[in-house]
Amino acid sequence: MTTARRGNPAGDTVLLGVAGLAGLLLIIELMPRLGLVDERFLPPASRIMAALAEEAASGAFWTALSDTLVAWALGLAIAVAAGVLAGLVIGSVPALRALTASTVEFLRPIPSVALIPLAVLLYGTDLGSTLLLVCYAAFWQVLVQVLYGVADVDPVAFETARSFRFSAWARIRHVLWPTALPYVFTGVRLAASVALVLAITAELVIGSPGLGKEIAVAQASEAVPTMYALIVVTGVLGVLINLLARTGERRLLAWHQSVRGEVSA
Amino acid sequence: MRRLLAGLTAAVLAGSLTACGSSGDSGSEGGVDQVKVGVIPIIDVAPIYLGQSKGFFKNRNIELTLEAGQGGAAIVPGVSNNQFQFGFSNLTSLMIAQSKDIPIKAIAAGVASTGEAGKDFGAVVVKGDSAIKTAKDLTGKKISVNTLKNIGDTVTRESVRKAGGDPASLNFVEMGFPAMPAALAEGQVDAAWVVEPQLSAIKAAGGREVASTYVDAAPNLTVAAYFTSQKLLADDPDLVKRFTEAIHESLTYADAHPDEVRAILGTYTKIDEKLRAAVVLPKWPTQINEASVQTIADLGAKDGIFTKAPDLEKLLP
Repeated sequence: MTTARRGNPAGDTVLLGVAGLAGLLLIIELMPRLGLVDERFLPPASRIMAALAEEAASGAFWTALSDTLVAWALGLAIAVAAGVLAGLVIGSVPALRALTASTVEFLRPIPSVALIPLAVLLYGTDLGSTLLLVCYAAFWQVLVQVLYGVADVDPVAFETARSFRFSAWARIRHVLWPTALPYVFTGVRLAASVALVLAITAELVIGSPGLGKEIAVAQASEAVPTMYALIVVTGVLGVLINLLARTGERRLLAWHQSVRGEVSA
Repeated sequence: MRRLLAGLTAAVLAGSLTACGSSGDSGSEGGVDQVKVGVIPIIDVAPIYLGQSKGFFKNRNIELTLEAGQGGAAIVPGVSNNQFQFGFSNLTSLMIAQSKDIPIKAIAAGVASTGEAGKDFGAVVVKGDSAIKTAKDLTGKKISVNTLKNIGDTVTRESVRKAGGDPASLNFVEMGFPAMPAALAEGQVDAAWVVEPQLSAIKAAGGREVASTYVDAAPNLTVAAYFTSQKLLADDPDLVKRFTEAIHESLTYADAHPDEVRAILGTYTKIDEKLRAAVVLPKWPTQINEASVQTIADLGAKDGIFTKAPDLEKLLP
């Protein structure tokens, strides 16, 4: 976790982070100016920023940005819902877990991008293609975490609930779910980043609408500063999504010892 | 809070399901045909964008959606399984598809060479200080093409053959057009087969053209075509006829109005204004030059691009 700890106030961390970013920008500004790289292929940061301002003034950019965000959010929501549901069901039935273990281990490592030909066949260059890749990649992240979470349930607590004649639903609701929740959040956080990577990749390679496609068009148009500007936007998106996921995790799990413990440590 | 989250998730899910359900197929509504065309976001397809903005398609009751997917690889499968009703592709790719019995039919010319050596939209270029002066000097050199076993290597071999070099000795490597200026500048390749806008960009940076490959291959070569599936042609010949007429009108208009072509490039590509003014525009005749297609087919066969000879009777209109 990147949270501030005692003796290292939050202000310092933020300051250092900003300084690091400024340093990176300075290096990108200087490398082409000093002739270390050809500025036709890596323009200085100031020109990238100018191209970014130009993009931000165009409607097409905002449409592309919202297309990417919609694909990301939809894909993530579907993957999380399916992953949690499948994880709880598979995890709580030992026979099912044994039955699916090898299949999951076989399907999970298949890189989503290998499914591009299938996505194109099924959905062409529509949103569906992006969603297929995003869901596939994000689903396993969630599923595997939920499976770990379910396996982590204290058997004594579970047996106690059983002897108190909790219904199956109440056992899931009061024993299984609270134990699995931190794992679910870890899964969601991982899936959120993976989903963004896959959304951009799909748009870039397939040409489904979004920022990735705009990057491809800029590249094909010899608009090098614009291409870098759009790449910067995807980077910023990644940072924001990660921040959002971490903040959400801390807020929603404030009651849980995995979060509580860290703060009081 | 958790209940709220669950509710939100459910709402998003429900929304996504209806969204998936409603993105229906194209079809005619109120006499207007919804048509999706698979194109590549490059200069070659400027006429269809221009024709769309001029209303040439709307006049014929066609509501056009242009799907500018990256690269042409998705277009032929897209047309043959009816995700796109029409598509744009270079003729070598169409001939390869035809020789594999994919039921497609070219309906109109897409783009053609200018026919003028040194003033065409595709060429083999080298660095300004390269020792390669003519196509003959390319013998044994490393040349980048955007797709191996396609039109790029076919026409480059022909340029070398005509100049008296050894076409079999060429060492082709595959890379995207956008990567070629850097690869050439860094010396990763000795020469690059490029098209606009990379061609102008390389020349502006001091690159030198050594072969106008399309011009060498055949006089007034038709490079690409618009095509449809045999199924659509059989099911809705009227739509195909109207679309073909609209394409012809667009091609003729684009050929006569280069300034408007340069302006429309700014809407679907990101080519900057300076480069837009500099690029060499191709020719946009309405008729496919069949003799030139036959030449490309013969050259391709010689190079072993086809597993079996394409049937031009079946492919061309």
